[in-house]
Amino acid sequence: MNLATTRRISPHALASAAFRLRELGIFLALAIAVLFFSIRADNFMTVGNWQDIANDVALVAVLAVGQTMVVLTRNIDLSVGSIVGLTAYISSDTLAHHHGLPLVATALIAIGIGLGCGIVNGLLVAVGKIPAIIATIATLAIYRGLLFQITGGQNVLAFQLPESFLDLAAKKPLGLPLLAWIALAVALAGAAVLRWASWGRDFYAVGSNPEAARYAGIPVGRRIMTAFAISGALAGLGGFMFAARFASVDAVAGTNLEFDAVTAVVVGGVNVFGGSGTVLGAVLGALLVSTVQDGFTLMKLSEFWKMFFNGTAIVVAVTIDALITHRLQEALRRRRRAEVVAAREGEAPA
Amino acid sequence: MKAVGRVLAGLVFRWEAVLVLLIFAAAFWSTTLSDLFLTRANLLDLTTPYIFIGLMALGLTLVVVAGEIDISIASILAVSVVVLGQVFEAGANVWVAAAVGLLVATGLGLVNGLLVGVVGLPSLAVTLGTLAAYRGLAFLINSGEGVASFPVGFTNIGSGYVWGQQVPIALLVFLGAAVALGFLLHATRFGRYLYAIGSNREAARFSGVPVTLVRVAVFGVSGLMAGIAGLVYVGFFGSTRADAADGSLLDVVTAVVLGGVDIFGGAGTILGVVLSVVLVSELRNGMQLDNLGGDTQNIVIGVLLLAAILAGNALRALQTSGLRARIARARHKEVMRPSSRTEGIT
Amino acid sequence: MRSRKLTVVIGVVVLAAVAAVLVASVGSAAPQRRSAESTKFFLIPKFIGIPVFTLNGVGAKAAGKQLGISVTYNGPTEASAAKQVPFIDTAVRQGYNGIIISANDPNAVAPALRRAKARGLKVVSYDADVAKDARTVYVSPPDTQSIGSGQVEWVGSQIGYKGEIAILSATTTAANQNAWIAVMKSTLKKAKYKNMKLVKIAYGNDNDTKSAVETQALLQAYPNLKGIIAPTSVGLPAAARVLQQAGKCKTIALTGLATPNSMRAYTKKGCGKKFGLWNEVDFGYLAVYVAKAVMDGKLTGAAGQSITAGRLGKRTVGKDGVMPMGPPLVFTPQNIDKYRF
Repeated sequence: MNLATTRRISPHALASAAFRLRELGIFLALAIAVLFFSIRADNFMTVGNWQDIANDVALVAVLAVGQTMVVLTRNIDLSVGSIVGLTAYISSDTLAHHHGLPLVATALIAIGIGLGCGIVNGLLVAVGKIPAIIATIATLAIYRGLLFQITGGQNVLAFQLPESFLDLAAKKPLGLPLLAWIALAVALAGAAVLRWASWGRDFYAVGSNPEAARYAGIPVGRRIMTAFAISGALAGLGGFMFAARFASVDAVAGTNLEFDAVTAVVVGGVNVFGGSGTVLGAVLGALLVSTVQDGFTLMKLSEFWKMFFNGTAIVVAVTIDALITHRLQEALRRRRRAEVVAAREGEAPA
Repeated sequence: MKAVGRVLAGLVFRWEAVLVLLIFAAAFWSTTLSDLFLTRANLLDLTTPYIFIGLMALGLTLVVVAGEIDISIASILAVSVVVLGQVFEAGANVWVAAAVGLLVATGLGLVNGLLVGVVGLPSLAVTLGTLAAYRGLAFLINSGEGVASFPVGFTNIGSGYVWGQQVPIALLVFLGAAVALGFLLHATRFGRYLYAIGSNREAARFSGVPVTLVRVAVFGVSGLMAGIAGLVYVGFFGSTRADAADGSLLDVVTAVVLGGVDIFGGAGTILGVVLSVVLVSELRNGMQLDNLGGDTQNIVIGVLLLAAILAGNALRALQTSGLRARIARARHKEVMRPSSRTEGIT
Repeated sequence: MRSRKLTVVIGVVVLAAVAAVLVASVGSAAPQRRSAESTKFFLIPKFIGIPVFTLNGVGAKAAGKQLGISVTYNGPTEASAAKQVPFIDTAVRQGYNGIIISANDPNAVAPALRRAKARGLKVVSYDADVAKDARTVYVSPPDTQSIGSGQVEWVGSQIGYKGEIAILSATTTAANQNAWIAVMKSTLKKAKYKNMKLVKIAYGNDNDTKSAVETQALLQAYPNLKGIIAPTSVGLPAAARVLQQAGKCKTIALTGLATPNSMRAYTKKGCGKKFGLWNEVDFGYLAVYVAKAVMDGKLTGAAGQSITAGRLGKRTVGKDGVMPMGPPLVFTPQNIDKYRF
């Protein structure tokens, strides 16, 4: 009698059921929020408002996709806000001095710089063995400081930029802002990587159990570096989008954006213990956070409610995740015990 | 065992000794920047603007020794400071307001502790959330102008001087707190529990350490220290603003790590943290004299933080390989002695 | 184990003793202020990096050149009072003779300024005042009353004196902002403006992105908004850009205070058709002359005293040690090309 013939629900199926539950949970929360705000806030359910939300979500969603990769490997990247500021400024400044430069080229420059920053983060964590929280607190300060050095206290002012760039944020193909289309593309690419690329799937293994992953032959260090590199590159893209949206970029641009990204990711069900979560969840998380913030604005609530909400959402989401993970582990343990018992019974008569 | 003890002791002493050397080096560098540096008043006043950071670092040290992290301390400081302002403005005596502020700070710390110790959430995620939640709370309580009309008797905590206008009271507060927490960490059972939990939580639990209680309590202490830091902060700036201590997290974490506290838990001394607070103050002060902007200074502090951890990792790697070499050599010597030679052993 | 602890305790005590001895042995008194050496002033704006403050610096250095005084211009990179304090302390440590400051919070910088005064430095505030006992003279922008009521009139005249308006301010604590807002509120009570309603005061923190986000929020939350007053040189262009991107330049009138250079493109397109400022270069220039006069004892903050401030001529101190710098400038699409700053 072998195990394959005993009746059981595979741990994999159980796990994916739990995850789908989690995403359903956010979706439900989103639906409740929309319902709540459409009743209590004026002008919530208008096309204009939803286009505003789309613009807000776009930037956070792009950052959240990158953050998802990092958090899956049981790390965190708090430097993305500074990377956004750095790349936003460099994008703007380059365009201000070279009006003829194609926008795509500028975006690639931004992504390249972000990639570089991400690689540095990856080296510090994977090679230097510095805990990600500390490493990225440090690089948050270092990248921000570098930005101040580069700006020399100056800003790029909107009237210095080419019209084509300033128009980017106003374009709305098919009614959805261009920036949101970009975010959608990024999210789809991210989801595809995590689902179909073997190195993408490795992130889950690295985050669940780094030691086991190493024994299984996965180059853990390289995977962590990849995760941080992606996070940095996407932050670079985010910087370009930021510059397109806000035009005038100063040295404090992008401050605290990392919190929006982390909130989106944590609320979206990406487990801070690592090893589980999806891009869909992170994007839904970003949507939920932006919707709530927008709703607060329309309800004329003070902006500080947003900060308070973000923090509370993180704690609540982590608590829910801990309870789910706990339950899941319990359920898996029970199943395994049942399997072993059943297998032994099956072999006993021998 | 004695060899291990000596090696460890040697390492501990070496880290603090390096800090002392760095302090002297930084002092030398500062004298080249300003001939007003080497005056008694200036030297004593060196750390005053950073005392509130040092107090938070002391509290954070205990948390890190226990194997956790608390990045919400600056936000706790903000809430306690704003509450102090509101209570004072409502007419209460300033010391009553201060007490309320301290209570609030401890309470917020205990919330962190409960979430980590009882509910079992990872301290990083929890304090990341409370960092934002508490900061938002501070602004919700009072987003406008800080309360500013504090009596001089109170603001002296942060900006007053004794002994002929030379010794800052804030410095005395810091040294007092260092002695108290040093005693707590190095000479009480609670302190030993912290080290045990930080080294190996499960083993500590099996050894009978009240792990949950200690974990909750240590976050409470961290909150309390943030509250005390808040008193010094208000004394120094003279007003209670919700953006208090914004951006100070980098320096607090650097002070702790640079002080030789192992970020993975289980090791570190209060002495090291006190020395590193002095060092960070000197560096900031020197860079300020050199007309470097605050954000440029942050680059230096950030690099310092990374270097400190890398150095710690390297030392640990050396230590383990150093130990193995010693043990191997000792075993070899033991085997080579004629009296112990028996068959079968090579 | 115990012997190691003893060693540590002994080590700490020795360390403390050595430190105490070292500190006690250095010279006790700070060196006397050197009057023979060249005078130097430290100009601390709210923050560096935006044209209005950079121009202050330009004017200040020009005045310094005329007077033979070296002027250092430096400050934090964002509107934070806590970040201005290290600069005040640096000025003291490096032996500056005077501090000229525009404060992000009148109270938060006061203890540091008082310490500076106690060590012999002269303190002059400009643009945004500090606590009165922490400075000798305050060089104010053109008369608060006329700036405040003027902006209400500039927006009112564009909306037919009827409708909802909002204010986009800078930081919640800047004294000059709060003074103008107070005047605006009392102006709105007058009969002429009785059909205009102030629905919200938003704070952009003198940060471009924040100001843009706040303006966006105003547009979302108040769909009937008719006018915005942005008395901040960072907020006004940000609001103009948002209005332009949203296509609302014709429906919402915009006014405030900003440099003509930053608003030229928008004003000519109809966003922000009337706004104002003053000569920022003269502002810094005057502040340095005032600081020199305070240092020489010619101005003590008493009302009625006056000085000749170089090319600006005679300037007099008013009540509470306040000296207004001169008349404001008003910019419109017709005259904006005349001004290039």
